[in-house]
Amino acid sequence: MTTLVPVTYKGGVYRHDEIMDLIDDLGGYIVQKHVMAQDVVLQSFVPRDDIEMIRRIAKPLAGEVIEAPLVGTEIAVVSPSLEIHHLPHISCDIAEYLRRSGAKTNMVGLARGFGKRIANLNDEERDVINEHDLAVYVLGNFEECIRQKFPAIRREIRVPIVVTGAPDRETLIRAIDPPAEGYVGGVGRIMHRFKRPEELGKLDELVDEVSRVLDARRDALAKDPLSVFPPRLMAIIEEQIHEVSLLTHPTPVTAQMEGLRVKLPYDSYADDVRSLEVAEGVTVGDIADVTPSRMRNYILIRIKPFSETRILV
Amino acid sequence: MPPLNYFVVESPDEVGRVAYERVAADVLQDLDLIKVVDRLHIYVDPKVPIFVAAGLLRHMPRAIRIADFANVNRGENEIVLDIGDETYLAPLLQKLWTIYGKENVDQPDRFTVVLPAGVAGEDDLDQLVVADPSETLYKDIIYALQYIAPEGFKVRRQYIRDGKFYYVASEDTLPTDIVETAVVPLFEKMGVTL
Repeated sequence: MTTLVPVTYKGGVYRHDEIMDLIDDLGGYIVQKHVMAQDVVLQSFVPRDDIEMIRRIAKPLAGEVIEAPLVGTEIAVVSPSLEIHHLPHISCDIAEYLRRSGAKTNMVGLARGFGKRIANLNDEERDVINEHDLAVYVLGNFEECIRQKFPAIRREIRVPIVVTGAPDRETLIRAIDPPAEGYVGGVGRIMHRFKRPEELGKLDELVDEVSRVLDARRDALAKDPLSVFPPRLMAIIEEQIHEVSLLTHPTPVTAQMEGLRVKLPYDSYADDVRSLEVAEGVTVGDIADVTPSRMRNYILIRIKPFSETRILV
Repeated sequence: MPPLNYFVVESPDEVGRVAYERVAADVLQDLDLIKVVDRLHIYVDPKVPIFVAAGLLRHMPRAIRIADFANVNRGENEIVLDIGDETYLAPLLQKLWTIYGKENVDQPDRFTVVLPAGVAGEDDLDQLVVADPSETLYKDIIYALQYIAPEGFKVRRQYIRDGKFYYVASEDTLPTDIVETAVVPLFEKMGVTL
């Protein structure tokens, strides 16, 4: 079986459809397509052995292919609030940087996440964060505050967490109990844009930490694979449910590591999605849970593992 | 940063102290207050929890007059204002409209305002006050301190008068004698009595 690896293709608009067709023909999937003026960015999964071929074909078009570890993941960037204290610089810079590595990021500004004694998390925030593949908690400058407030704002969060804060990594590890999955120290409340080399270095460190955590999750998934590869299901939904193409969202269907978020109203479309045929005699309902998302009225699809369905599409 | 004459951030947490030094410097710079604040002393202790900032203001910025940003060219029939810096163009137009009426204020392009000589001929346009930055300065200072202080510190006491200001904030109720116990010592360190 060919291994699909996440890559980003960057190139011009001119003849980019040929690259899209090529990825499709090779059995790859395009998870996200951005057209910005004359540039095109394709977040995609392509067979490992064919990357060189895509590079060769893209060369005359001045396109480049970069390994992007976070393609096909949806990450929540959790900020204690959306006040001027935390925005725009830290939260937005982090979200944007993760996006450049291929992730789909959503900013979650907590309603009452500030303060050390008064910080808390409500059920909607908890559920929304839990719908992601990973949460990056963007915390502040004081060890004492992180130690006290973090248990409150991570309560019942089941997805892996990567914490950032001003204290160094070791201090963060010491302050956080039970441990989080990843830590990046030296990034506190910063009131200016990340532009110095050491600040950009911290963002790279964050991307590495996030990919390390997600790779661990991918390894675990490889032991009990999903019944269908999420980007594949995404392609089927985009093909079969034509309303998806009418949506104006940047990513009408968002790929996650273990599922998809379809940005159609649950009440009207859930049954259509459930009865959609993925392969001969296999419907989405057989291999996945189609549930309402806490994010607006979207549909959240959680693909079941092979061990549960005994189906591998 | 900073041409402040005195700028100290104190905290029992060294990492936090350095971070707050940077935060305060960035905020003052962003809000263009470096030229206005003369001395600033910040004390922040998350264990108490308390945030105290005390400082002195430099002289107040003076009022902005037309001569500061535009040339007044007097012709026989009309007076042409040649705008050098657009920052105060909007308040200038507002001012001219109220004085001379909209029908008499013509703006053929972005950098030119024309008034008929018959209407405005006698007035000393050069010295017309267009804006007074000190009006909003107090608000700006308090806003800056609110911005610097940790967000959760919602209970606060603030003061700004006669060139001195302080800002105390906490997550918990502030004790009644907080000014005497926390603010006065900071002013003493700066060599000033409140």
